[in-house]
Amino acid sequence: MATTPRRKGPSRREFIRDAALLTGGLAATGLGSRAIAQGQGSAPPKLGAQLIGKLEGPELILDPAKWPTKFSEAPMLAELVKQGKLPPVTERIPKEPLVIKPVHEIGRYGGTWRRGFTGPGDQENGNRIVSADKLLFWEYTGTQHRPCVARQWLLADDGKSITLYLRKGHKWSDGKPFTADDFVFWYEDIYLNKDLVPTPHPDFMINGKSGVVKKIDETTVIFEFPEPNYLFLDILAGSTAMGGGQALWQMAGRTMGAYTPAHYVKQFHPKYIGLDQANAKAKAANFDGWVAYIKNRWDWTLNPELPVLTPWKVVTPINNPTWAMERNPFFYEVDTAGNQLPYIDRIQMTVAENLEVLNLRAVAGQYDLQERHTAMTKLPVFLENRDKVGYDVRLDPALNGSDATLQVNHSYEADAEVAKWLHTADFRRALSMGIDRDQLNETFWLGIGTPGSVAPADSTPFNPGPEWRKKWSTLDVKQSNTLLDKIGLSKKDGEGYRLRADGKGRLRIELLTSAGAFIPHSQVAEMIKEQWKKIGIQADVKEVERSLFFTRIRANEHQIAIWANDGTELLYLFPRHGLPVDPAESLLGTPLAVWYASGGKQGKAPDDTPLLKAMDLFRSANGKRAPERVKIAQEIFKIMIDGQYSIGTVGQSPATMGVRIASRKMGNMASRQINAQHCRTPGTSQPSTYYFKA
Amino acid sequence: MVAYLVQRLILALLTVWAISVLAFVIIQLPPGDYITSYIAQMSASGGAVSEQEADALRQEYGLDKPMLVQYFRWMKQVVQGRFGMALEWRRPVSEVIGDRLWLTMVVSVAAILLTWLLALPIGIYSAVRQYSPGDYLATFIGFIGLAVPSFMLALVLMYLGFRYFNMSIGGLFSDEFVEAPWSLAKTWDLMKHLPLPALILGLAGTAQLIRIMRANLLDELRKPYVMTARARGVSERRVILKYPVRVALNPFASTIGYLLPYVVSGSIIVSLVLSLPTVGPLLLKALVAQDMFLAGTIVLLLGVLTVVGTFLSDLLLLWIDPRIRMEGKR
Repeated sequence: MATTPRRKGPSRREFIRDAALLTGGLAATGLGSRAIAQGQGSAPPKLGAQLIGKLEGPELILDPAKWPTKFSEAPMLAELVKQGKLPPVTERIPKEPLVIKPVHEIGRYGGTWRRGFTGPGDQENGNRIVSADKLLFWEYTGTQHRPCVARQWLLADDGKSITLYLRKGHKWSDGKPFTADDFVFWYEDIYLNKDLVPTPHPDFMINGKSGVVKKIDETTVIFEFPEPNYLFLDILAGSTAMGGGQALWQMAGRTMGAYTPAHYVKQFHPKYIGLDQANAKAKAANFDGWVAYIKNRWDWTLNPELPVLTPWKVVTPINNPTWAMERNPFFYEVDTAGNQLPYIDRIQMTVAENLEVLNLRAVAGQYDLQERHTAMTKLPVFLENRDKVGYDVRLDPALNGSDATLQVNHSYEADAEVAKWLHTADFRRALSMGIDRDQLNETFWLGIGTPGSVAPADSTPFNPGPEWRKKWSTLDVKQSNTLLDKIGLSKKDGEGYRLRADGKGRLRIELLTSAGAFIPHSQVAEMIKEQWKKIGIQADVKEVERSLFFTRIRANEHQIAIWANDGTELLYLFPRHGLPVDPAESLLGTPLAVWYASGGKQGKAPDDTPLLKAMDLFRSANGKRAPERVKIAQEIFKIMIDGQYSIGTVGQSPATMGVRIASRKMGNMASRQINAQHCRTPGTSQPSTYYFKA
Repeated sequence: MVAYLVQRLILALLTVWAISVLAFVIIQLPPGDYITSYIAQMSASGGAVSEQEADALRQEYGLDKPMLVQYFRWMKQVVQGRFGMALEWRRPVSEVIGDRLWLTMVVSVAAILLTWLLALPIGIYSAVRQYSPGDYLATFIGFIGLAVPSFMLALVLMYLGFRYFNMSIGGLFSDEFVEAPWSLAKTWDLMKHLPLPALILGLAGTAQLIRIMRANLLDELRKPYVMTARARGVSERRVILKYPVRVALNPFASTIGYLLPYVVSGSIIVSLVLSLPTVGPLLLKALVAQDMFLAGTIVLLLGVLTVVGTFLSDLLLLWIDPRIRMEGKR
């Protein structure tokens, strides 16, 4: 015993400590970007903070005096021009192009951007990259409107119309002119065709009345409404059925988008070729009828012949092992030096049959830039290999308040006793105060998220004020128990669980979760179940497959469903995770949403005064001007948080599409970008300005 | 003999038909249909599908018709060799499966060959040298092979392969060859990617086969005819290989019927983990998306393969085992 054996290598304990530094280290920081800003202490910057950079992005040059006068193009296109297969670049770009100052520098042409996708259902992977075909868009900050396909807009004073000014000389990817006629064709022959659009779309309606599209001249279109619709400007800029662009809204069987390449689509439309001929064409292509065929033909992910306005167009359709896109020679954007965008020649996505493989491939550097499907839980592995492989890891936190929200069904009625408690505000508050959000944050968000209520990020306009982050939304077991005792749930069984008031045993609350979400909702629910033991509430976690999850919600069968509240940061454009107003998906109660959407004719009215008030406020907002709308949204959030109608846990995290793995060869990578549906992340960062460094 | 074959053939056809009905019905049993999974998928990209739109889509895909009508529409297309439209892929089922079927065969045949090449010699060795260190080693490794889930092995090997050998992750081709037409270079690329999946797929089967071979052979080795052969001075090699091994092979032949469908579907999870472009992951995704034409066709295919496989193993048994042949003549 006299000599201690010499130690070789690290001991087990040391090893565990190192590993903890890697994973838990992130957790311990609590994401101190704010702490750093305040310059606190001498401690080295925390890892999480290092990974979240400064919000930055490309800027638009709208003053024609500052536009370049000479234009150049990619070598692959110059070659085609030389061979006479393409007109020169000056004839391909509009007379009024969109001039962009890239976030860092002028790029160089060439290269193939390698990415991963998960199969033919993963259209969003490409939709977001080509989102430059939206009518209007948002600045990289995500709050200001900006031109996109339309170069300018005019919102009438009375709010009853919006005029869009298109770019003179703007061309489709096949070289044919893009004009107001493409809007009129969409409106008259698609939107008003009952076979294609059976019911008018809410995004093109105000108080149940549909709008109209009219042509003023070749490059001017007007959208008119019977009542003031100030919100329509946001709708045109948002990821909505009217402003979301052709690519997103005419894929996968969709029929919206506000414009379409009329000259191309006409050849499949019965009005122009006759019903028999249209059906015969469909039959010849193995489709059942013309509706199915025309929807296939205008799907950009499937049809390489389709004329588009996007930076890249598909060359190998999505239903192949590789989904490949190539530059659009007629794309309407140029950089400040007059180079036609995009810089990158090709995008090649390879299918990964499962997410483990996709993440491992990202770790191995087989992708040049990937922010979709890369999981936050894999951060330690990403960080471990970044220098060896040569990529940067960037985190882009989202703006919504809660990535795992307990969405209470306020129209639940299958079990009267449970329904009664779910409809009681103090019961919901008690549930909320029984959740230890810090523990959830450390465990599932690596400490990067922000614990609290459903309120959107403090930086967003609809945030009702910092005090509402914590309202009823911090751990307080004592107050929680007091509330539960007070409302009549004081009787407990031998194991300490509270009993039902109707004498039918233990009160059990079912938490419905869906498999395959970006944050492991089922595991989050299991942890909440453990935490609720302290307040004597028995939770049953029930995980189902995603489509069954939505089927059960539509059938009004769930008690509490767990889902992110993404999109609520722009409540008016995407209200379904914040208010029961959209019958297509209403986690807060489908009958309530049916009631709201049908103007009270069907469904079930909420029996809860504050909730009814929130829904009324929401209905009143569309016709109001922007500053009033902001106030109303804040008011709605106050109501929803005070009543804990949906219980927030941890949010504003990079869990959804916010873990960005970017090769160090890629240029013009914003150190932080807005991560939100309405910004079509990475859409507002302008993927057309990404390039490969020499 | 001919009558026997005809009878088997008719039975086989009936079985396949029954499988097609069962496949179609079972896939439709869970609540919802392809449209519900489509709605869930659309809501991920921020779109809403109204009830009216959903109904219109059901009509478009013919999902509003009674199940019987849907079944006959599908059968009509099966007979024509098109097998209907794969809803999520929006391509004919025959194309979607066709691409992958050959690769599935290649991977699985490689896995089976590897299994046999490893398992039979080791099994024979273990039996002949029972309780020798070599036998213990083979047994030990065999049990580990049985106990470790192959998908986990796949994940670990994949990570190690990347970490220490810079191998590309998953798949059967390098990026540049995925879309390329077949060429010598592409075939070589496939050969380079094949060993890992073949090994992982084959390993669990190998362990099992070693044990079966060992047990079978041990039974045979104790029989008097082996002793007689030895007593008559037949060489040790011949004594073992000519008779007992041949008899011990019987169970292998009779399980070939199950081997064929295993070739296609038995490896779903491993194929998924390794991201192999084979039929297995396709079946799983089709079931999740409730794409009953695609899933139904794959299940039907598995059924046909089982039936054909059983038929083949019957023939093979006739060939290997003279006892069965004699019975047939009697």
